[in-house]
Order: sequence, then structure tokens, then C-alpha cells
Amino acid sequence: MSSRRESRLRAFAAKLRGFLRGPQRDDEFDEEMREHLRLLGERFVAQGMSREEAAAAARRQFGNTTLLQEDRRELQTLLSIEASWHDLRYALRTLWRSRGFAAVSIATLGLGIGAATAIFSVIVNVLLEPFPYKEVERMVFPRIHNVQQGPEGGRQGYTATEVLEFAEGSRSLDGMIAAFGDVVLYKHGEGTERLDAALVTPGTFEFFGMPALHGRVVQPSDYEPGAPPVFVMRHKTWMARFNGDLSILNKPFVLDGTARTLLGIMPPRFGWYAADVFIPEKLRREANADSPPYWFLLGRLKPGVSTQQAEADLTVIARRLAKSHPQYYPAHFTVQVKTLLDSVVGRYKPFKAMLYTVLAAVGLLLLIACSNVANLMLARATAREKEFALRAVLGAGRTRLVRLVMVESLALAMAGAMLGILVAWGGLKSLVAAMPPNLIPSESVIALNAPVLTFALCVAILTTLIFGLAPALQASRRDVNDPLRDSSKGVGGGFRGRGLRDALVVMEVALSLTLLIGAGLLMRSFVAQRQLDLGVRADHVFRTALVLPGDRYKTAEQATGFLRPLLARLKALPGVVDAAAASAIPPYGGAESKTEIAGKTHPEEWQTLFQYVSEEYFRVLRIEFKEGRAFSEAEVDDARRVAVVNETFVRKYSANESPIGRRVRLGKLETAADAGRDAWFEIVGVVADLRNRGPHVTIEPEVWVPYTIPGGSEANVLMVRTAQDPGTMMDAVRQEVWATDSGVALAIPGTLEDYISEALYAGPRFGFLVMTIFGCIGLILVTVGVYSVLAYSTTQRTHEIGIRMALGAEGSAVLEMVVSAGLRLVMAGIAVGMAVSLVLVRVIEAQLAGVTAYDPATLAATTVLLTMTAGIACWIPARRAARVDPMVALRHE
Amino acid sequence: MVKAEKKRKELDTGKSEVLQGTLDLMILKTLHALGPLHGFGIARRIEQVSRDVLQLNEGTVYTSLLRLQQQGWIAAEWGTSENNRKAKFYSITKRGQKQLEVEAENWERISGVIGRVLRLESER
Repeated sequence: MSSRRESRLRAFAAKLRGFLRGPQRDDEFDEEMREHLRLLGERFVAQGMSREEAAAAARRQFGNTTLLQEDRRELQTLLSIEASWHDLRYALRTLWRSRGFAAVSIATLGLGIGAATAIFSVIVNVLLEPFPYKEVERMVFPRIHNVQQGPEGGRQGYTATEVLEFAEGSRSLDGMIAAFGDVVLYKHGEGTERLDAALVTPGTFEFFGMPALHGRVVQPSDYEPGAPPVFVMRHKTWMARFNGDLSILNKPFVLDGTARTLLGIMPPRFGWYAADVFIPEKLRREANADSPPYWFLLGRLKPGVSTQQAEADLTVIARRLAKSHPQYYPAHFTVQVKTLLDSVVGRYKPFKAMLYTVLAAVGLLLLIACSNVANLMLARATAREKEFALRAVLGAGRTRLVRLVMVESLALAMAGAMLGILVAWGGLKSLVAAMPPNLIPSESVIALNAPVLTFALCVAILTTLIFGLAPALQASRRDVNDPLRDSSKGVGGGFRGRGLRDALVVMEVALSLTLLIGAGLLMRSFVAQRQLDLGVRADHVFRTALVLPGDRYKTAEQATGFLRPLLARLKALPGVVDAAAASAIPPYGGAESKTEIAGKTHPEEWQTLFQYVSEEYFRVLRIEFKEGRAFSEAEVDDARRVAVVNETFVRKYSANESPIGRRVRLGKLETAADAGRDAWFEIVGVVADLRNRGPHVTIEPEVWVPYTIPGGSEANVLMVRTAQDPGTMMDAVRQEVWATDSGVALAIPGTLEDYISEALYAGPRFGFLVMTIFGCIGLILVTVGVYSVLAYSTTQRTHEIGIRMALGAEGSAVLEMVVSAGLRLVMAGIAVGMAVSLVLVRVIEAQLAGVTAYDPATLAATTVLLTMTAGIACWIPARRAARVDPMVALRHE
Repeated sequence: MVKAEKKRKELDTGKSEVLQGTLDLMILKTLHALGPLHGFGIARRIEQVSRDVLQLNEGTVYTSLLRLQQQGWIAAEWGTSENNRKAKFYSITKRGQKQLEVEAENWERISGVIGRVLRLESER
């Protein structure tokens, strides 16, 4: 019968063509019929009839044109509009009649679709389309890769000369710009603030293809020698620092001592180089003193040119440059050309893995939601068996019945999608608030945009197919006579969908357990990270970095001349307990240096972290002394060569003997400009370890020396221990800083706790929060699922239960029967879920710290949680069943 | 009710309705025998051949033509009719000729069987 299938296929293809081609065919058909009628009429006239008679006879002989049109439409249209409209109205009416079912289904789908949409939106905006720039897929940057180092070895910063050589010599690129990240001090009436600047080369704004939101961007004429100094501001900075005040346009700003005019404000998504301000800078070839290689190069591939071709092209130039500037090129190198998009994905790799984990979780959630609704629909389809049988008897074809159920499903899914978009809209707001800010590209704006809404719609249609098809096929499959004959709701009879429904419950429980285990593991990992002792007490500490104008603060002496009075002023503030300065933000450990201890010989090279601190440092951070003491005020004031080391230093380099009184050398200091060449320090104290490389990273040896030591002008982090909330200290501290020197700016001021929480824990917290929320939603959905299935089957068995009770079954026996039936499914689901989880945890294994992927406590806790919740879901319908009055139940029929 | 009405109509005219499915066969054969024709021409030919035995709603010719076109058995082309008017001309395709053979043979067989069965009835 393959020819019959083929002919059906052709008919379907014709319908599809008609559907795609629209109403144009209608006219041809009409024209043919009119012509036929005219010819028939003429013929009758020729036979001697009057015009009217002829027309009537022609119409008679031709037949009913309306009916013909309908036949034609049936042949050429996919779905007859009238029938669909009728189905939809009917579906809405039936759904309205069972409002409870509809509400539960829509809520379930809304949660599922909403969660999926929200996460998809994050992924689209952060990972897939992070940049709003023109032809961003062709934007590339070159790297000089040192072959003798690992894949990360090499550089992507260039000297001005190199930039110009590449820009002029390349034949594979359509344009090339360069950017240089700098910190500028913005001086205003009250004091000085720090801004992140990007120095941008001619053509930058044209390259990105983005005009200014207000005002204008930098133009070629602004690069001309003698042109007035100008700059452009980023939208975010404009909003945050100037409250979106348009009157600042075309006003001069003093940036690093130069008055520059603000030309324009960029659109919100322009975030090139994550800079606050964009300052035009024309590159010049310096004859002998070339600038250091700090310029980042960005080019656009010519259409059709591959990155390999560009690599070959740029390698030629690089080889030439390596000859003239050998100090910047390793002995063996290659030129790699990477796309900007890949670099983003690479840079945010851990977060990307987290997002995809969450997306997978959301997929599971959506599946649970679908199977829940499928279950409800199956139960309903069973209850409507007779209705469908009656329809079939009255001549409804199988396709028609399937369509009826599918239209119902689609109506549910669309309502669910609408609710889902609302859920996603609300969810995104909280997601964005919880999102670790430094982990996403600054150009990303996470919002519900067209692709996201399309996604929600597609998900809705897809879910319709998933949850609607099984019940629809089941509804249409049955033998017409069977359910009509079967008028009794006898023992266990009448519902064949049971196996499918049970399977769905098992699957739901399994999926939910998988989700819960994932959430549990991430939560344990997060807690383990938080509980880890960093070695410092971060509470009640306000901290800020200071930006000292480089022209006035070159030496440690000059810096000390500013810091010492500032620390004294801060300590005198009401509410301040203590204040200290250091060269690194705790718990991190500062710069690296070669080291050695007097009288100890060792074959390998010793490395240590070291930083400059004031004497209050150990007090402010409550760092515990294991041995010896902190610096005295006099030692710091006199810049005496004393040092404090950590326990790891002692363990590694002093073989656990007390190092007090020994001398340690810091090789780095010998190369510092004003260090005075004396790099030997006497160890006066040993402190407990700080997590100086971050949590869950091996602790390195560390040395602290007074900040007054020549070469120590980098002690630019200020820490203030307060009696009250450190967050309230901001204005007071800023005032004291500006009172000491109004040319100094505060950078990233805030509490130390907030900083640590954001820098170290924001990523894990985001993952665990989101997973926990989804785990809870999953748990709720499963509870609804288990409850609805059991409630339905006990209702179906009311008659049976009545008989049992009439024959003397106790209420408790009935209770047990129903609960155990439910728990059997739950247990099966848990077994499946456990097996699935043991495989799937590998996905999140990389994100776990301080807990193994097969953590027994997590597995046990989630299983207990799920069993208990499901137990409650079983118990409610069971109790209702146990209260069945046998007389009522039997009379029920 | 509809059926009763039809019956009465048939009795009035003494004509039989075209059997479901047989119109397609007749059109195929007509196009095969006479070459490209427009709808009106096909209807005239069937009328002529059936010698007023068959009652044909001529409009159904067009739905039949559409169905045959969808199956790829006939092709259609706009042209000019004898009296210089725009008309759609239908012609049989290769696949249509094959189908015609199959259907014709099928018809012969079935009508043969039916004929034998009917004779059987009357002999008893």
C-alpha cells in the first residue's frame, strides 16, 4: 500500500503549498467556474432559452458553487479555519468547565516555561550575543604566543610602533583599532575621583558602528594636532555618577590635569574596554623610547578571510618586528588570531559552565512540568473516555479527535507561556540582582527581547507536543464500543492510561531528585567555601584603594608623608577603632619575589609573596600571632628592616625551626628604583596563614614589611576597623582623604566583607541560589504531580474502596493501601533518580569545592526530603479514601 | 433525507449519479484520448459519451481536476480557447498515464466481478 501512502503524502504537500501560497489560487478557480457557467449559459441560449432561464439552467447543471469552494479549500488547506475556530472555542469551554485542572496546568507550565525563558535570556544575552557591535563575528585580535610556555603563555598588548606596523601592513584585516586601559583622576570642586579610561585610536567609534546616544562621538578632526581635548562617556557611568544629567554635555572636565570637553554619552550597551570614559589618542612612532606593550589591538577580518589566513598575514609582520624589537619577542613564537566572541566565552568559562548547568536544570524542570500536565490530561482523558467514544460513534475521525485534544493542549500551553513570560520577567529582575557583576561582559544587557520571547513561544509549542500528544493519541485509539458498554466503574477497571501515568510519576520523581541533589551539592560546596577560615576577620572593616597622583607621589617617603597623617586623622574619627594601610586587599598576598634566608642553602629557587603594611595591619584584620610580635610604631617610622612571615613560610623554608631573629632577603626590592639595594630583613614575628591566593588554592609563603621602606610606595589600600556598620564610614573617610590631599581619589570603596563576598563567593552563590530555587520549584511540582495522580486514582476507585469497607476493611488498611501504592512509585522514582544523578553529577563536579560529587550526606538528605514531601502528597488522598462512607460509595453509581 | 431527495431526482430524470471516484478515471481517460482540454470541454465530452445516462454536476469536474493535479497525474496551463478567451488547459502526464492503466484495469476487474455477482443473483 505504499502508493496509497505516497498519494496521501502528495495531498498533504498540496495542502502545505496551498497554505504557503495563500489565497491567490482562489481567484483562478473562481475564474474557471465563471467561464464554465458563461459557456453553459451561451449554449442554452443557443438552444432557444431566455437569458434568465439559461443562467438558471447553467447553475443547475453546474451544481452548488459554495459547496465546490469548500471542497477545494478542503483539498488545499492544512487546517480548515472554521473547524479550528470551533475546536478552540470548544476547548476553552471545556477548560473553563474544569477550572481547577486548567489552573493547576497553567501554573505548572507557567513555572516551567518562565524558568526556562529566564535562563535562556541570560544565556543569549551573556554568552551568545554579548556584544551590540557591527559585524562582531569578524572582530579578531592577535596574540604573540610563546611556544615554550603553556597555551596561555604570551601577550596581547603591543607597543605603539607595533600597532602602527600591524595596522598599515596587514592585508587580511579591514580595519584595526587599538585601546589602552588607564586610570584617570577626575578633579572636581570637592575632591578627586578615579575613572577608568580607555585611550582609543582614530576610527574606533566607526569601527564599532555605534553612534552616541546624546551628543556625538569622537570624529577624525578631534585627533588633529592642536584640536581641543575631548572625551566621550559611557552610559552606565553617566547614570551612576551624574544621575543622567544632560547639562554636563559640552562641559569641560579636569581629567589628569587636562580640561577635556564631554562630547557625548554612548548608548547603554556600549562598554568597550569596560571603561568609564573614552579619550582619543593618536599613536605615534617613538624614535627610541617606545611605550611599553600595553595597547590591545582589535581588527576586523575582511569578508571571506579566515583566522588562519590572518595568522599567516600577521606572522610576516611580527617576524619583521621581532628583528627590530627583540626585547618584546620570545625566541620561539607564533601569532594567534582569536575572535572577540571566543575570548569572551573563554574568559567567562567557569560562569558559562554554571549557566549551562542551570539551563540543564531548567530543562529538567520543564520536563517535570510537562509530565505533570500530561498526567493530568491523561487522567482527564480517561474520565472523558465516554465522551470521545460518543464522538467517534457520531463520526468524528481519528485526526479530528487528536486535533480536539491538541487544541486544548495548545490553549493550555499558550496560557502557560503568557504566565511564563510574566514569571521570566520577574525572575530576571532577581537573577540580574544576584548575578556576579564581574563575571559577565560589560556590554551584556539581560532583558526579555525578541529572540527570548520567540524562544518562550517555541517552548510552549514544544511542550504542547510533549504533554499533549500522549493523551491525544490515547483518546483516539480506543475501540469505539468498549467504553460505551463499560458503564460500571468496577474494581480497578476502566482506566488503561494507568501504566503511562505511573511511568510519568516515576520519571518526575527521578528528575526532581536529580535537581535536588545538584542543588544540595552546590549548596554544600558554597557553605564549605564560606566556612573556610580566610585567616582575617573581615567584619566591621571599611576598605578602599587610594589613587595617588603619580607626579607628586614617586617615592615611599612622599607616600608616607601622605599616609601617616591620614591614618592619624582616621583613627581620631568617632566610631573608628583602628586604621591601617597595606599594598594588597586581604586576604590576597601582594607581589611575588625571590627570597632566601641567611645561613640556609638550597638548590631550588625560593619564591614568596610579600607586601608593605603599616604597623596596625595585623590588629585591624585580627591576624593571630603564633610567635614574636608585630612591628612597633618606631620601627615603621624609622623604616627599619624588619619582617613578619606566615606559618607556611616557616614550614617550607625554615624546616619548622623558629625563624625569629633570622634574616630574610626579598630579591624584588633590589631592583626597585629607590630601594637602596638593602633587601635583608630581620624576622620579628610569625602569623597564622591567610588564604593569600583565594579559597581552596594552596597557601603561599608570605612576608610583610613596613610600608615606609623605600620602594614601598604601593601601600595604597586603606583599611578602617569601625565600631558600627563600616558601610556608613564612606563619607567620613573620603572627607579625611581629601582634607589630607584633595588630589587623591578613592577607588572601589566599600566594606571588606562585601568585597570578599563578591570577589570570592558571588559565582558559587549564584549557582547554588538558582539551583535551590529550581530544586524547590521541582519539589512543589512533584508534590502536585504525585498528589493529583493518587487523588485521581482513588476517586476512580471510590466504588472499590466502598466495597472493601462494606466487607469489613478498616480505614487504616485503606490508608495503607493508597499510601503504599503512591510510595511504591516514589521509591521507584528515587531509585531511577539516584542512578541518573550518579552519572550527571560529573557535569557539576568541576564547580564543587570542599565536597565530593558523591557526598553521602547530600544524597541522604535530598532523598529524605523528597520521600517526606511525596509522603504528604500520598497521605492527603489516602486519608480522604479512608473516610469513604461505604453506603455513599456504593450508592454513587 | 438527502438520500431520499436524490432518489426522487434520479427517478425524475432517469439518470444515475456519477459513482464516487469514477469521475477521476473518466477525466483521465478523456484527456488521454483527446489531448489537452479545458474544463468545459471535458464536461461536454463526458456528457456526450454518457449519452445522458449520467447525471453530472459539472462543477465537480473542477475539484476532480484539482485532485488529479495534486497527485501529479495531470498538468495545467493557461492558454487561449477556440473563441479567444483565457482558459486553463489540462493534459495528462506520464505518471497519469500509468495511473490510468492501473485504474482502468482495476475497473475492468471490479466491474467484471460485480457483473458476475449480479448474474449469479438473477440465475437463482
